[in-house]
Formats: sequence, structure tokens, C-alpha cells
Amino acid sequence: MMIDIKDLCITFGAGNHQIHAVRNANLQVAEGDSYGLVGESGSGKSTILRAMVGINARWTGSIEVDGNTLTPKRTVASRKHMQMVFQDPYGSLHPRRTVDDTLSEPLVIHKMDKREDRIIRILKEVGLGPEFRFRYPHQLSGGQRQRVAIARALILEPRVILLDEPTSALDVSVQAEILNLLSDLRKTHGLTYIMVSHDLAVVGHLCSKIAVMNRGEIIEEITEEQMRTGEVEHDYTRQLWTASHGYDRAALESFREFA
Amino acid sequence: MNEMFTTGLSSEPPTDEPLVSVRDLHVRFSTPKGPVHAVRGVSFDLGRERLGIVGESGSGKSQTGRALLRLTAGNGSINARKMVFDGLNLMRASEKTMRGIRGSRISMIMQDPKYSLNPVLTVGAQIAESCRRHENISKADAKKRALAMLETVRIREPEKVYNLYPHQVSGGMGQRIMIAMMLITNPQVMIADEPTSALDVTVQMQVLKLLDDMVRERGMGLVLISHDLQLVSSFCDRVLVMYGGRIMETLDAKNLDQAQHPYTKGLLNCLPRLDGTHDDLPVLKRDPAWLTEPEHADGGLS
Amino acid sequence: MMSDTTSRQNTGLIAWLLADFPQNAFQAKCQRAYIGWLSFKTNPIAMFGLIIVTFLCLVALFAPWIAGGDGDTQDLANRLAAPSAEHWFGTDELGRDVFARIVWGSRVTLYIIFLVSIIVMPVGLIIGTASGLFGGVVDKVLMRITDIFLAFPRLILALAFVAVLGPGLENAVLAIALTTWSPYARLARAETLTLRSSEYIMAAEIMGASKARVLFAHIMPMCMSSTIVRLTLDMAGIILTAAGLGFLGLGAQPPLAEWGAMIATGRDFLLDQWWVPTIPGIAILVVSLGFNLLGDGLRDVLDPRSSGGQ
Repeated sequence: MMIDIKDLCITFGAGNHQIHAVRNANLQVAEGDSYGLVGESGSGKSTILRAMVGINARWTGSIEVDGNTLTPKRTVASRKHMQMVFQDPYGSLHPRRTVDDTLSEPLVIHKMDKREDRIIRILKEVGLGPEFRFRYPHQLSGGQRQRVAIARALILEPRVILLDEPTSALDVSVQAEILNLLSDLRKTHGLTYIMVSHDLAVVGHLCSKIAVMNRGEIIEEITEEQMRTGEVEHDYTRQLWTASHGYDRAALESFREFA
Repeated sequence: MNEMFTTGLSSEPPTDEPLVSVRDLHVRFSTPKGPVHAVRGVSFDLGRERLGIVGESGSGKSQTGRALLRLTAGNGSINARKMVFDGLNLMRASEKTMRGIRGSRISMIMQDPKYSLNPVLTVGAQIAESCRRHENISKADAKKRALAMLETVRIREPEKVYNLYPHQVSGGMGQRIMIAMMLITNPQVMIADEPTSALDVTVQMQVLKLLDDMVRERGMGLVLISHDLQLVSSFCDRVLVMYGGRIMETLDAKNLDQAQHPYTKGLLNCLPRLDGTHDDLPVLKRDPAWLTEPEHADGGLS
Repeated sequence: MMSDTTSRQNTGLIAWLLADFPQNAFQAKCQRAYIGWLSFKTNPIAMFGLIIVTFLCLVALFAPWIAGGDGDTQDLANRLAAPSAEHWFGTDELGRDVFARIVWGSRVTLYIIFLVSIIVMPVGLIIGTASGLFGGVVDKVLMRITDIFLAFPRLILALAFVAVLGPGLENAVLAIALTTWSPYARLARAETLTLRSSEYIMAAEIMGASKARVLFAHIMPMCMSSTIVRLTLDMAGIILTAAGLGFLGLGAQPPLAEWGAMIATGRDFLLDQWWVPTIPGIAILVVSLGFNLLGDGLRDVLDPRSSGGQ
């Protein structure tokens, strides 16, 4: 197993205001696999990713990546193996730094050599020419920015990439390009993905196994086969699946809240 | 339902005359980097129906919606051969007439209710205020109407929600409140610009159902502006597909699979499907000729 | 789109500055500055401010040639003379040429501005950003210290400092700086708090960037512009505080030509020999106005939110 998460609980706040953002989450991802986390806003799906990369340190349980048990506090070297791509391509790049600055910083931090070669090679891999190297984020389109963000995650040669709604801020035609790029990169680099999204179709396209989350709990894990046919166990999953097919007045009557 | 529906527009006999008729609409902006031609000759009619306008960012779909209310930003200009709403020439109407129309006869819902609601007033007060602005009724009556409206938009415990401030309500409820505020004046036309894209799918469906009800029960004309072709086609009667400020194609929503234009086909194909495979998605290839090809994009008017 | 077409028409330096694809980091930085300049140039009021400030710098630089005297030479026989061809701005109570003193005074003004800037900016930025980034105890301690400085009226606190440090221009400047930095720390902290949760800061932390790197390389450049703008807008107040201290005998010491001190000593003659206090007053007004207009223009150019749309 590349990723093995057991009994993960994540809380916010303290005392009476304590909120259990994630409760007893368990998930396993094999090396080279792509795993999806689906849920509505507030379901805790992004919170899991944040705990994994060590932005949120308030969790209990165990997170194992590539055989190493991760603790809430990380060493610089340990961060190399797991990187993240964010939702908003406008917010995830520093507005005052060129593409070159953004890509060379991880190399400086991890003292990696042949920086120039690496930057040019990685730009080529994400489908940007070397001519984009000295552009500022505001000189790039949304899709190009997301490519730079992917290049930044990839340049440290990680084993695992966590994708937090990587295409939800993009136009559908650009979304297709980015999804294709992500699936190509996974094949060529043998990467393991965990992808978070609210869009069942997007997750289903990239992932072979999908965990459905509601209110901090993983309620069901479905396969791509179940995803196609809609033969799912849990009512909530079925409701999500139905809603993802577009507007259906009749089906709406049966919708309800799941607590 | 409640007494509003009996006094509203639904009591009028339905006519074939379109509510809104637009011919050859152009919206231009002057920017420091030179002129931008955002909408280039758009024509369509809106009846008592659900009309979808679909396009990617920069296609001019939002500007088309805003132009109907003459809400184009200060550096923009609107030109049209014809822009008529219920017998009224919107191009010639004075700013005062427009203010009378906006919000009372043509309403608009924006994407994010957070920016459209006043943060220091309770939501109920804002709905009642909107009611009083357009009709001469007492405060108590306005409150009654507002509460009834909150019920209409399927808000449980309207009495409680009436006294909440905008930051105390969730995104889905905020959008329902916005819709209540826009509907309380009984508009003939509603322009909804991405009303649901900030919401979760199930909430999204519930909000759409609400708009659907208004069209069915009150004979309102609805323009739904969105980037999501699949969603719009499952909801609307007709769909206009826009690209580069022009209408590429007008479709009956149920005949989406018979789309002729390569742009519409490309948009449909590049969507990941629930029953699809993991194969690469076809990438949309844009043809510059689409922006110059002869006008077949007349919004279903020949 | 417009810049694409113009870049093809232009040649040489302009083409290099507007090239779609910069070849190296230096060119990218120059391009950024040039595009900022182009947008600054379209704002006539800001340009007016820049002209005033540039003019001040030129006057200070070429003071010996412009003043036509050292401004300290007394001519008691010719005291309080009205403006004339010989003395453009008249003479003061000791018969010194007011014009020469104004010109020499521009150096003092610039000196004050320079000293205050190099103290206030780093102190305010470091305290504010550190407090915002680290939070917790660090934030509490640093912000309470800031509060203490904010609680006193600026001039009173400056007086106390000068009383301890002793009178003199440098000490006055130090006192002003010590009383000025606190709002900058507040400003930088507020900005850091919004930046801290941004995705690019998160991305930097995920790649293993240390707190110091995040602070100096990511957050500080983003806070820099608002600090510069605020400082430019504050300049008028700083000049006036320096003048106030000079008047109380705690700032610039006679015979140093400092505009504020000149007003202070000339105020007795306001009714009969109006030029003695009025001319330095006008000088302060013009320079303060210049900095204010410049600051407004800079805000439009440096604001990352507005430049993001370019």
C-alpha cells in the first residue's frame, strides 16, 4: 500500500465549540493508483488532504505513506514525497513571482542540482514551452496557471500527488486538457493520486476507486463499475449520483438531508 | 399556494408575443489596452419559458444578460437594432424608467449571494424592503409577504430565518433568500447568472426547481446563464450556445445530441461522463472561422 | 491584446520591454516595472505628484548652485525685506535670504524623509508580518507593544524620546520613527493574516519552506507595496512633526534651515511681513501634496489586486 490511513480524526476548535471535521476515516491506496474523495462542501474531504500534507496538525489516528508513518510535525526532507495541487489557479501562485521563481524555490529548499535543466524539462512535461519561464502569473491563462501549479508539485519528483478540486475553477474545455495531462503524468511517472472533488464525473474519470464522504465520515467506497451503473449501497451516494446527471424534476421529490 | 399567485401575472391569458425580443445586440468596452467587443450581434426572443445561455468564460454570456437590464459597466456601451421588453423599447428608456424596471419587472440573480445581500440588515428586512420599494404597502403587510415568500422558496421556519443576518445562513439558503427577494416583486423576467455554481449539486437542484416552479406557475420568463451545458440542457427548454460574443447555435434542449455546430459538439465531448472510460478526453479545437462565419446564429429566428 | 500589437511595431528597448516572452529574470522584472510605469503615466494627478517629488530631489541635489548663497549669511541692515528681484522670497528677521534657506531646507526635508523611511519600514514590516505569521504568544506580545506605542499622541511621545535622547535633528528623526512605526506593524499584520491562509503560502509550506523563508520571500514582498504607499501618504505628517519638534527647540537646531523651524520663528511676523512664515508654509504644503498625490498613484500601480488584471 502506498497510502494507508487508519482511524483518522480531525477536529477544529476546542471545548464546547469543538467540531469533528473528519471522523474515523480509513482508506488505502495502492501504488500507482488514483483514488477519489467525493462529497459536498463541509464533508471533510479537503480536510483529509490538509492533514496528510501537514498543514493541519490537529489529528489523531495513523497516516502511513510509502511505509513511513507520518507525524503531525514534518521534517523538510519528508515533504518531498508528497505534493499538492490546489483548486484555484489564481490563488495558488505567488503574484509577484515569475514561473521560474516559483519552480526554482522547491529546488533550492531541497538542494537539488541542475535547476535550469529541471525547470525546462518540467515545463515541457506539463505542456508549456520554455518561453513561459519568465512570465508572471497574471500573464497566464487559468489553464496555464494550473499547469504551472502541477509543474511545481511535480518538480520535487514526489511519489504521491494530492489534487484538491484541480479543475473546478476552469472552463470545461480546459478541464479536459488538465485531466488528460494529469492522467498522462500518472502513467509516465508512476504517481499515486488522491483527488478531491464535488463532481462525481470528474473524479470518476480519473479514479478507479471513490470514497463518498458526508459530514466528516466516509460512508461508502465505490468502484468505477458501480459508478457507471449507479448500483450503490448508500442512499446518500445514490442521491449524489442522481443529482450529477442533471436536472430531473421527478427525482428531486425523493431528495432529503442526510445527517 | 398563497394569494400572490392569484393576483400575479399567471392570471393573464398567455400570449405568443415574446416577453423580450433582442436583435443584433452589441456590447463594447473601452479598456486601457484598447476596445473589447464582448457581445457581437446577438439576437433572441424570450417567451414564458426557460432559456439557457451557455458558454465558456469570455463568451459574452453574462454581458448579454446584463445588457438586458442596461447594467453594463461604466466603460461599456450597448447597441442593438431592437431590444424590446413587453412593448417597451429598452434602448430608448430613460434611466428612471430602467430603475423602475430593474428588480420589479426584470430581476437578476447573481452567482454569490454573499455579495448581493446587505451584511448589516436581517434577510427578512431586506426582502420586505424590496417589496415596499416597488409597492405601496404597510410594513406589517410587507413582512407578511416576505414570510410567505420565504415559505415559497422552501425555507423551513421562515419566522426564524427572517431575523437572521446574511453571514448566519448557508450558501444554499442565501441563494434561496436572494431568489425570494427577487421574486417578491413578481417579475415578468428573471435573469439568473450562474445562480447555482457555488452550491452543492443537491442544493443546486433544489434551487433550480424553485426557478422551474416560477416559470410553470407564474408564466415568468427565465434566462439561465451558465457554463454547464449538461445542466442547462437538462433544465431549460431552449439553449443558446455562445462563443466569442456570438451565438454559435440555438438548440432545443431535448435535442442536445443533435447539435450541429462543432463548438457545441466539442463542448459536449470534452465533459467527463459518469458512464465514461478513463481514456483521454477529446480536446476542444477552436476554429477562428467561427467568429466570422455568416449569421446563422439568430437565436432560432429565421 | 493591444500590447501584443504595439510590441510588434516598436523596436529596440521598447520591444524588449514589451516582448510577450521574456528571456530572463532581469527582463521580466524590467517589463513588470515598465508596465507599472505605463499605467502610472496614464494618471495625470499621480504624475503631478511625481514631478513635485522629483523637483524636490533636484533642488536638494543642486542646492549650492540654485540657492546662490549658503542661506546662513546674516544681513541685519536688510532684515524683513519684502520679496524683490534680489531676494525673490524676501529676507527673514536676521536678514537671511528666504529663497536660499528654502532651497537648503529641501535637503533637510529629504534627510528627514530618508531616515524615517529606513527605520519605519523594516521595523513595522518585520514586527507586523512576524506577529501575523507566527500568531499565538508572539502575536500577543508584539501587538501589545505596538498598542502601547499607538496609545500615545505622536508628538507627546516624540517629546519624551527627545527629552531622553537630547535635542538635534537626528534624535528628532529617531523619535518620530519610534512613534510612527506602530500603524505600519498593524497594517502588515492585517495583510499577513489574509495572506497566511492563501494557497500559495500553503504550497510553500508543503514544499518545505521554513517560516523565515515564507516570511521574507513570500509575505514581505506582498506587504511592501501597501507600506510604501502608506509611508508616502504619511510623509506630510512626518514633515510636520519634525517641524513641530524644531519649533519647540528639540528638533533641527538653529541656524539649520528647516522649513518647520522657519515657520515657527517667522510666525511673529505673519501680519506685517507675511512672506517670512508663509513661504516655508507653502513649501511644506507643496511637498506634502506631492507625496500624497504620488502615494495615491503608487497605490493604483502597486496594488497586487489591480495589477493582477493586466
